[in-house]
Amino acid sequence: MSNQSQDKKYMPEIPQKEIDELRKSIKATSQKVMADNIARMKKTSNNRPEAMQYFDEVADFFGKREKEIRAAKEAGKKVVGYMCLFAPTELILAADAIPVRVNSGWYDTAKLGDRVVPVEVCPVIRSTIGAKMIGLSPYLELSDSLISVLTCDGQTKLGEILSDYKPVWSMPLPRVKDSAQSLRFWREEIMTVKKQIEALTGNKITAKKLRSAIERTQKATKAFRRLQDLRKGNPVIMGRDAMLVNQTYMWDDITRWTEKTEALCDELEKKVTGKEWVCSPDAPRVMVTGTPMIWPDNWKLPTLIEEGTPQGVIVADELCSGERLLYDPVGVDEWSMDDMFNAISERYLMASTCPCFTSKDGNEDRINWLLNKVKEWNIQGVIYYVIRGCMLYAMEYTRVKKVLDRINMPVYYLDTDYTREDVGQMKTRVEAFLEMLAARIDL
Amino acid sequence: MLIEILAEILKITVLAGLTIAGILAVLIWKKGLATKVTYLRFVVQAVSFAAIFYIFSNPIPLLYVVGVIFIMPIFLGRFFCGWLCPFALYMDLITVIRKAFRIRHRTLPDKLNKFLHNFRYAIFLFFLALPLVLYLIDPPPTLDFTIALALLLAGPFKPLSVLLGPIITLIVPWVGPLEIGGIYFSYPYVQEIIDYSAEIGLTAVNLGQILSIVFVVLTVIGSVLLRRVWCRFCPTGSSIAVVNRLRGFKWAPVLHLDKDEEKCTKCGICKRVCPVQVTEVYEQKGGKIATSMCMLCFRCVEMCPYEDTLKVNIGRKTIFKSRNWLKPSESE
Repeated sequence: MSNQSQDKKYMPEIPQKEIDELRKSIKATSQKVMADNIARMKKTSNNRPEAMQYFDEVADFFGKREKEIRAAKEAGKKVVGYMCLFAPTELILAADAIPVRVNSGWYDTAKLGDRVVPVEVCPVIRSTIGAKMIGLSPYLELSDSLISVLTCDGQTKLGEILSDYKPVWSMPLPRVKDSAQSLRFWREEIMTVKKQIEALTGNKITAKKLRSAIERTQKATKAFRRLQDLRKGNPVIMGRDAMLVNQTYMWDDITRWTEKTEALCDELEKKVTGKEWVCSPDAPRVMVTGTPMIWPDNWKLPTLIEEGTPQGVIVADELCSGERLLYDPVGVDEWSMDDMFNAISERYLMASTCPCFTSKDGNEDRINWLLNKVKEWNIQGVIYYVIRGCMLYAMEYTRVKKVLDRINMPVYYLDTDYTREDVGQMKTRVEAFLEMLAARIDL
Repeated sequence: MLIEILAEILKITVLAGLTIAGILAVLIWKKGLATKVTYLRFVVQAVSFAAIFYIFSNPIPLLYVVGVIFIMPIFLGRFFCGWLCPFALYMDLITVIRKAFRIRHRTLPDKLNKFLHNFRYAIFLFFLALPLVLYLIDPPPTLDFTIALALLLAGPFKPLSVLLGPIITLIVPWVGPLEIGGIYFSYPYVQEIIDYSAEIGLTAVNLGQILSIVFVVLTVIGSVLLRRVWCRFCPTGSSIAVVNRLRGFKWAPVLHLDKDEEKCTKCGICKRVCPVQVTEVYEQKGGKIATSMCMLCFRCVEMCPYEDTLKVNIGRKTIFKSRNWLKPSESE
């Protein structure tokens, strides 16, 4: 190996001892935070579904699933990490590799990321850089390769920075999705990534394998949408629990995740018939939209909403760490290789409501989808959640606010950072909003 | 006499019975929501095929058939093209075979597709104008309304039968172009090709037969490459747009497609699955889909994964709408 390839373009040289110490202390904090979050979720929810037990276990970053992936890797399987949900998981599955999403939600590693990028940069990016610096995230460490989709500025450079350690496949994304040439371009990118996945795994993606992979994710989408639909009525599951279910999809085995989610939905349906609600049906129904909220640390907003006085309940979200992950199915018309690739490219590019897109009508798809969700899920208030540095979501707020004002929907802009210091201040803000919602409902 | 009437009633009953049995069979047998309507369409097409054969075997003036085909679209849009036309059935069957061989289909550039769509009017007018051309070349001794009408309907260039071209069944109850074992076989437009060739007067080289074979081969290959290739410029399917473009006739299409703007994520599935590449369902923001290209086959409604986004309405009543097709079908 030449020296040049080992030269890190971005990452600082940190003594191994310091790395080990940092990892040890941050891991310990993280384990505490995870246990604490789950304990609080159990406490808040009356009649918490039994089936959540499984998701509580999988949610543990340093537990069962890590060991499983490690064992699979030893048996010869490859792991492909991805940083945006635009990465075609179907192709990874079809090549018999394991897809894992590696965006980081750790607060403590965000501070480490400051050594590489300025503090103005989105904390999701800083935190992921920090996690890589000390090798904290098992899924990021286990990834053989990373798919970096160039959506926002942060993600674009994150891929570049992480390429200090691992091969990174960049997938540029057209910013205007509503045109034939964009779709053609994106399809070419998908084909390129397909070849790279094949080269990495040594498995050829055949029509049969791809079909089976698509059918697996379709089943997952089915279970996922069933869960979302169950949240339309009186609360049978707390928003945090549902969000945790959604997030575990990012690293769990997809078939098993689907089974467990279906089992959860079966249990929830029984609760609907038995009228066993998890909290008061009068609790304000809140939707969160904006920057992704990533397990385990960045759980403060949902916690504040659902543990506040008055208690609110998150019944829907428009987050790329939540609803957007799986709601849209891959719609295959004919099971030919060609059409399957068309379907995959369209599902990832066209159905997405990511704010990185624009068109002659602006990002109208997102506006329409928000309006639809507000009506379908009987939302009583929207919290527009932005972490500092997340430009795209912050900039779209004005438009979203205007549209929601028109239908008389309260919306609250909440900005924060990857830090625990502002929890007290945030609590006041969230509770004031919830109180206002509760007062509106009483009227 | 009585026996004949009874036999007719029996035939109609058998047809109706077949329709109901076929539809029920599909409803019970096909659980996948994403293909159910497609299978239903095959049943309806097959029954329509039999019904058209039955109509042909009666001495019903073809003028009435043309009348029905041209008045129906005013209210039902091109429902006939999507669900009843026999030529469409042949093309759909070829599609099924193509799918079985895992061969991909091609698409035309949108501009060319739109051009072909408008080109159909040129074809339509060409055939209507042919009798006039004939009149100018070879003026009849007296100008008489009856003669003019006779020329138009039954003259050597029969525009009427050209318009009926696509609904020719494969087996015809009259002397058709091809006889095997006493049964006459035909194919859309083949009879017209033979007649026209004879009119041109090149019978010596069997021009009619050669052209017919070329036509059959071309349409078969064409429908392997492109779904519903003929429907893109078929002159018979041209009537609806003319009516709908007139002011004051917006109410006319009773059967229509509606789109809910807010529920649509513009995922593009409707555009991709459309057999004739209609883009309006995708592009139009919401409301009544106004295009004469749409054959109302409802494939887009069937494949749209967002509940209630696309709706098929008769008047104000919704008869079919898009739904989450991932769900297993509830018994209907």
